[in-house]
Amino acid sequence: MKNKLDFIDIMHGSDGHHRKEDPNSFEYSYQAEITNVYSLTKTEKLYQIQIADPKLRTKFTFKPGQFVMLELPGIGEAPFSISSSPVRHGDIELCIRGAGNFTNFLSRVQRGTKVGLSGPFGTHFPVEKMHGQDLLLIAGGLGIAPLRSPLLSVLENRSRYGRVDIMYGAKNPDELLFTYQHEEWRRFDINLDITVDQADKQWQGRTGLITEILKERIQESTDLANNTFAIVCGPPIMFRFVCDMLTQAGLPMQKMFVSLERRMHCGRGKCCRCNIGSTYTCIDGPVFDYWSVMNLKEAI
Amino acid sequence: MDQQLSYLGVPLTRPKVAFFDFTSCEGCQLQILNNEATLLDFLNLVEIVNFREGMSEKSDNYDIAFIEGSISRPDEIKRLEAIRHNAKIVVALGSCACFGGVNQLKNRFNDLNWVKKEVYGDFPIETIEVHPLEKYVQVDLKIYGCPIKKEEVEKIVTNLVVGKSITSPEYPVCMECKANENICLFELGEPCLGPVTRAGCDAWCTNNRRGCWGCRGPADVANVRQLEEIMHKYGFSNETMLDRLECFGGFASLTKEIKKTKKPAAKRKK
Amino acid sequence: MIFKVFPKKKLSLLYELLAVNTMVGPTLKGKDRNGKSLYDFDVLYTFDDLALDYTATIHSAKRFVLPYHEKLSSFDINKTDWKKHVDINVYKPLVFFGMHPCDINALNKLDMVLAGNVYPNPYYIGKRKNIFIVGLDCSPEPQCFCHSMGTDSALHGFDMFLTDLGDKYFVEVLSATAFDFLSQIKSKEPSKKDHQHYKQVNALKNKNFATNVETNDLTKILDLEFDAKAWDQWGDKCLSCGTCSNVCPTCYCYGVEENIDLDLKNANKIRSLHSCNLLDFAKVSGGHNFRPEKSTRLKYRYYHKHRGFVEAFEESLCVGCGRCGQACLADITPPEVIASVRGKE
Repeated sequence: MKNKLDFIDIMHGSDGHHRKEDPNSFEYSYQAEITNVYSLTKTEKLYQIQIADPKLRTKFTFKPGQFVMLELPGIGEAPFSISSSPVRHGDIELCIRGAGNFTNFLSRVQRGTKVGLSGPFGTHFPVEKMHGQDLLLIAGGLGIAPLRSPLLSVLENRSRYGRVDIMYGAKNPDELLFTYQHEEWRRFDINLDITVDQADKQWQGRTGLITEILKERIQESTDLANNTFAIVCGPPIMFRFVCDMLTQAGLPMQKMFVSLERRMHCGRGKCCRCNIGSTYTCIDGPVFDYWSVMNLKEAI
Repeated sequence: MDQQLSYLGVPLTRPKVAFFDFTSCEGCQLQILNNEATLLDFLNLVEIVNFREGMSEKSDNYDIAFIEGSISRPDEIKRLEAIRHNAKIVVALGSCACFGGVNQLKNRFNDLNWVKKEVYGDFPIETIEVHPLEKYVQVDLKIYGCPIKKEEVEKIVTNLVVGKSITSPEYPVCMECKANENICLFELGEPCLGPVTRAGCDAWCTNNRRGCWGCRGPADVANVRQLEEIMHKYGFSNETMLDRLECFGGFASLTKEIKKTKKPAAKRKK
Repeated sequence: MIFKVFPKKKLSLLYELLAVNTMVGPTLKGKDRNGKSLYDFDVLYTFDDLALDYTATIHSAKRFVLPYHEKLSSFDINKTDWKKHVDINVYKPLVFFGMHPCDINALNKLDMVLAGNVYPNPYYIGKRKNIFIVGLDCSPEPQCFCHSMGTDSALHGFDMFLTDLGDKYFVEVLSATAFDFLSQIKSKEPSKKDHQHYKQVNALKNKNFATNVETNDLTKILDLEFDAKAWDQWGDKCLSCGTCSNVCPTCYCYGVEENIDLDLKNANKIRSLHSCNLLDFAKVSGGHNFRPEKSTRLKYRYYHKHRGFVEAFEESLCVGCGRCGQACLADITPPEVIASVRGKE
């Protein structure tokens, strides 16, 4: 009929922008598979997740600090920072604590289970910008998960960086993550200092706050303001103390990077659940320099 | 029926389930039986071992006890304690089990002997003040509503079996009522407890232009003080509001406070 | 822009031509306790259902492009394997007859987030592209403050826009389809006199606004007054019920819930409109809530609308329709909240 309006089918071509199979499109997810699961502690597991299609797998690239949305049908979809090296493209590792609906069910699924993977999303740690400089990599608790990606990237390009210090704090020795890799990291000429809040009988390392290690490190440094970058991952209370201490020691705020955690339902700047004023943690973050975080009233 | 249940390859246990009732109309249990379309799928998920309203077999070997009704007689307490002892998970089913329900209205009279006389005349039975299950035993999960909503029970049972956490909406009924494009009942001249009552019913009553009576109890944020102002603004008395707030017992702790502060005014009226 | 005029009596003819498609528009829903007419947008079955003299509708037009609940995808589960089906839930074009400028501007604002930017949302775009909009001028009501938000006239985002000139309609034509329909009812070129009349009508409208919101430097003032006592006072009143977000033409924040069917063979994913005033809005797994107080949640609604969105898109996410204030049982209205937060200047 003449006056019938034309139906515009955006998913099948009458509008050129949308394709179901476009990774940038909404609700698109790569078909991926859990290829391996390692128990790291009582509550944390390391999941190896591989995009099924080999072509898409090589196409999938990310930068350290970015996150993916992982989906299990009927269970949910949740954001996770990638913990593996960016060299490995669509074959990623996620370090996940069983803390909610999604993560608890994930800890029960077996190898070979299919998962939906979308992303990578968000901002990253500018590891290239840090070439030629000393690095302070500071992690508290599960913060080592987002930190491991830039860390591995640094190890792979070790000669491009100056002195590298990792400071890692956990509640107790049982909760330390990636302990099997700590010696390997040290072999790359890296100072790895670990501290726990509460020691057990076997513990021979340090106890106390991470800021104490940092204090010593600051005293050793000669030109912190000009030759150092810092990446700080952990609970907000920790990075506030750490970043304030570094600021006082003269490290400019734009040379400190943190990764924020917020509730997310889309990861694509639409659902607003991660919105802090004008900033979306999912597209403007999750990696921010400390200056930007200082500007977010609620972030810390 | 006996084949292994699983979801996404994760093996699931088919829990043994029992239904019990105390002082109630047994309507919540009827809601579950009313589910012809999905009853078979429901029975595939759980093994019902005790359900007086639906079957004659009985067993005390169960994992989950769904309990309808409030406690209004001393002998009920003992029976409830025994169920608690047998069950791994106790689920309070419906407003009576969660808050005392309509039955607890008798507590309003302050004189139980008078109530007994009025109701039973010369054939008294031993009754006590009506209380929710929680007063006597630990309750692990509450399914709200008078009656419960069968879709909600199905969702809860599915989540229980799969191992997802069970949550009720934390927000008030207004959220669901507005999403259904209803006209606010206050504007139409009817009192409503929607602004303070826990959602999850999909605004069942207000969709049908009946003001909410608060059967699901208070939302996690229940601004009853503000509700009082709203009632006054729209010309409803404190009595009208309290009648509704006290109907199902969910607001007991909140109404006590209102009554306390309103006492002088009430005296003046007399 | 192309302008046309046609006599009022031809409006029903225009409606009938369009009515081979599904029609939605303002319609009378009943009377309130004081006898005042209540309007809402709904599907129209005849020209008589259309209430063009409507005052602000209770709900906005957003549900036709952004339903309160929407199934995003469904899944077939087969052991460790599964298949995902995506349906953007739009099957036919829609004609929206009689949309006021505030609601048209609201759609334009939603376009900025949902259609533009990174990751355009096909569920929204599919519906938005398939809606033919006939705009309609209005006269300000007491709660309207659209002129403060710069949304009292619509520049784009519609197909044709009608202005009532007494015995005729003055039409702004924005699409070729609209032009075709107007040709069919033999609309004419407006005369010099019609131009004059049109300008007079709009000038008169501008004089009739009763409510004003001072938006100068509002982004900065919101930052300066982050800890203002006023937030706590409004927070005390707030019911945390989400009514404001539901009736708002621009609130789009949502939550996603996944459900498993009783037979464990299928699952689905539902998007539901959420509200930043609801308790769990910023609660993360593990239980931490970034906004546990009513006042902070209420504050962030204003922060998103009047500060965050302005920073991102150079304009506010509020169109000044006043619906949230009208619908709020606790009488929390944007003009009053903003005035109290600004304080004495």
